[in-house]
Amino acid sequence: MMRKILKNEWTVKIGSAVIALAAFCMLWQAVTVFTGMGDFLPGPAETFAEFFRRFVKPYGKAVLPMHMWSSLRRILIGYTVASAVAIVLGIVMGTYRIADAIVMPLFNIIRPIPPVAWIPLAILWFGIGDASKYFLVFLATFLSVLQNAYAGARSADPVLVGAARMLGANDGFIFRTITLPCAVPYIFSGLQNGLTAAWGQVVASEMIRSSAGVGWIIIRGMDNNDILQELVGILTIGIIGFILAASMRGVEAKLCRWTTRGK
Amino acid sequence: MNDMKVRVKSLTKKFGDLLVLDDISFDVKKGQFLCVVGPTGCGKTTFLNCITRLYEPTSGEILVDGEPVDLRKHNVSYIFQEYSTMPWLTVEENVAFGLRIKKKPEAEIKESVDEVIEMVGLQKFRNYYPSQLSASMLQRVVIARAFATKPDILLMDEPYGQLDIELRFKLEDELIGLWKKLGTTIIFITHNIEEAVYISEDILILTNKPTTIKQMMANPLSRPRVVTEKRFIEVREQVTELIKWW
Ligand SMILES: Nc1ncnc2c1ncn2[C@@H]1O[C@H](COP(=O)(O)OP(=O)(O)O)[C@@H](O)[C@H]1O
Ligand SMILES: [Mg+2]
Repeated sequence: MMRKILKNEWTVKIGSAVIALAAFCMLWQAVTVFTGMGDFLPGPAETFAEFFRRFVKPYGKAVLPMHMWSSLRRILIGYTVASAVAIVLGIVMGTYRIADAIVMPLFNIIRPIPPVAWIPLAILWFGIGDASKYFLVFLATFLSVLQNAYAGARSADPVLVGAARMLGANDGFIFRTITLPCAVPYIFSGLQNGLTAAWGQVVASEMIRSSAGVGWIIIRGMDNNDILQELVGILTIGIIGFILAASMRGVEAKLCRWTTRGK
Repeated sequence: MNDMKVRVKSLTKKFGDLLVLDDISFDVKKGQFLCVVGPTGCGKTTFLNCITRLYEPTSGEILVDGEPVDLRKHNVSYIFQEYSTMPWLTVEENVAFGLRIKKKPEAEIKESVDEVIEMVGLQKFRNYYPSQLSASMLQRVVIARAFATKPDILLMDEPYGQLDIELRFKLEDELIGLWKKLGTTIIFITHNIEEAVYISEDILILTNKPTTIKQMMANPLSRPRVVTEKRFIEVREQVTELIKWW
């Protein structure tokens, strides 16, 4: 019974996604065929065909998957390190008032600065190579994850903490069995936002200075007046961003079954 | 004197200038099922919080087995007014939670968990998460968690206040069954007079703030009790008369 409903839900979800995508492509096609836009906008069929052709035909020195890998590698390193540091620091800040009092004012000043604003300085400090990109991705991820880990560590339900205390639990036990699990959903939403920010950041920094990566594809397309190349770059960014977000949701669903199941 | 489980001596609790509990003294025998009734806001929750040392009494003392309460030593369980299951643990893990705190061996944990889960009839739901359960099942999980640690004293703060009547009767009967079987000393707080008359052996009636004891009354009814019987209604009205906070 449950399984059947679940199946139907999936059919509806996937079905409507396919219909929406098809409608979008038709609109896109119609615009290119029936309006003057066709001169600057290749149609969907042409774009997708080019996308796959580029798996073997290189842009510059590398084929499309290599460019994807260049961008992804930059994210992977900056994102992983930033997440680890931010989760630990966020939880410490959420738990100890002193850490909160010291770090919070700094954080409040840095947080409103969009990470792209740091690009020129990053290049000055870390050069035009990958080091500056790691730094920028680190920054974008860090800000988003720290904020959420902090909120999560402070979200522990006082009723549950009281219940554990009544059962004789000490501070360490309460931290492990209540504070941390309460923080997990917050941390995941931070990781999710952080991933989006990191992805945006890497593309932006590649568009300013780089010799490979999906951001580079777009900028090189602009330099060569190659609209198709720009579109392929955008399509690639969209697809990878989607896959990253979806896999993160997958991991979350596995780790936080209690928030998703039965809802 | 030895069978006195809890002794409350001249307990007074003030919050700033607000006098909530005013020189309250009474004893609870071992294995007693005591109901405390009193108007909302009279300090019932405050009283339990004093027993468990969540609040420090302003003056007076509370002794368990002749000594000041110590949660590490005395096995006290507290069931809160709010539902307090851990949402990230399954039913089974929730029930085992208190035993894990007390660092019991795994085999013993498993045995106790199996036993209480069966007592409250949650066998089929062992691996469910709280978000998948109804309110009455959640409260059963909390009760199972409390009983799993084999408490000497069970404190319950309006545990069924948010349930509808039918479920409440059901859980009340279950609780009476558990009490008879295990002989736990229970202090059960409620503002529902019918509930107090139905489940208790003794009823402690409190006044409005500043709160003193109006009367400690032995429940004259034998079990099983039926809320619609003439004798039951008489007792209920007698208690109502004594409270009359409106
Ligand atoms: N921590 C607290 N600080 C100040 N006042 C409190 C606190 N806890 C309870 N009170 C006051 O004590 C009185 C009794 O509260 P409570 O014990 O919760 O009543 P009951 O459980 O009988 O409804 C109320 O007037 C409440 O406002
Ligand atoms: Mg209360």
